[in-house]
Amino acid sequence: MNERYRSTERAAAAYRTLAELAETVEDEWQYVTDLVDAYLPAIEALAEAGPGRLSTEQADAVDEAIAEVGLITDPHKAVDWLSTFPHVVGLALGGDVDRPTGGRPAGSDGDGTGDDGPGPDDDSPFRMLLGGNR
Amino acid sequence: MRFQDAAKDARAVVYAGIQADPLVARAGALLAEATAAERLLARAAMNGERTDAGTWRRIFPTLFGEDAEDVLRSHAELVLAASLEIAERGEAARSSYRGAVVEELTARLLARRTGPDAPVRRERRVLFDGVPAEIHPYDVTLESAARPEVFDCKWGARGINADVLNQLDDARAHAADEEVPLRVAIVVFDAHRSCEIRLDRSTAEHTRTRLVALESLDELGEGRR
Repeated sequence: MNERYRSTERAAAAYRTLAELAETVEDEWQYVTDLVDAYLPAIEALAEAGPGRLSTEQADAVDEAIAEVGLITDPHKAVDWLSTFPHVVGLALGGDVDRPTGGRPAGSDGDGTGDDGPGPDDDSPFRMLLGGNR
Repeated sequence: MRFQDAAKDARAVVYAGIQADPLVARAGALLAEATAAERLLARAAMNGERTDAGTWRRIFPTLFGEDAEDVLRSHAELVLAASLEIAERGEAARSSYRGAVVEELTARLLARRTGPDAPVRRERRVLFDGVPAEIHPYDVTLESAARPEVFDCKWGARGINADVLNQLDDARAHAADEEVPLRVAIVVFDAHRSCEIRLDRSTAEHTRTRLVALESLDELGEGRR
């Protein structure tokens, strides 16, 4: 099991815990369920979004984000973070949680073939998140 | 069809004080010049449990890490500082500040493509002949005589609901009855995918309501789409 897999596994577990708290907002049960159905597989798919080795910065970022959501006790805030957390983790790991099954950013194939596979579209939200231009 | 200032009740007066807080203007100005990743940082930090900057720097290595460009890092520091100032206002005040920041940001981005003939205004109602006025004003309006636009601003996708969507679409339809091409949009400081998830469950008419989410905010200032 590589570092990326372990990191995404911890993030997915944290997301499930966050969802359990958010589900206590009865009026938002459907929305919470829909968010989890969309983002949990995307978080899990980040395990395949790049090379197994993570930088220390990347691993720390995911662990800090997990620690942050672990402090949440307000279920309404938990609902909010069900939307935010996947994108924070995806940005840290360089993977796309806007896609149904996660994915690699363009140029991350790492095999020298230049075949990026299913990278984000030019106007994908994830590409905009990665973009550093202001 | 015409625009009108909303009546100021007690709640509106209190909220006006928050809108006028220089912190809101500073955060709005910084976010107008921010990248999508910086805006995600702002969303996270403004709604976070911890308010020490070091935590957020570690969570966002693309902005603060070794490989981040100096210009980006410097600007991200300013965004982070403003976001944490809002977070430190306390849980009760945060939501009002966050809403005011999204409105301020929307207004600033719209101002990039408008001039004196199409002023960007806040807290305005839209009145139509023979139609009772809506109770809730629009957060931001672009009052062009030829191509007016109204915007409802939300901090999160969870703020998308039937009332908001119906009000926007009703306004569009009433304007169309008067042969005015009113464009209606909902601006959400949240991930596009989350907004789509929310909208997919909504039975309210929204096919002609534009969605502007966190990743695409700059489109507000880029001319008509």
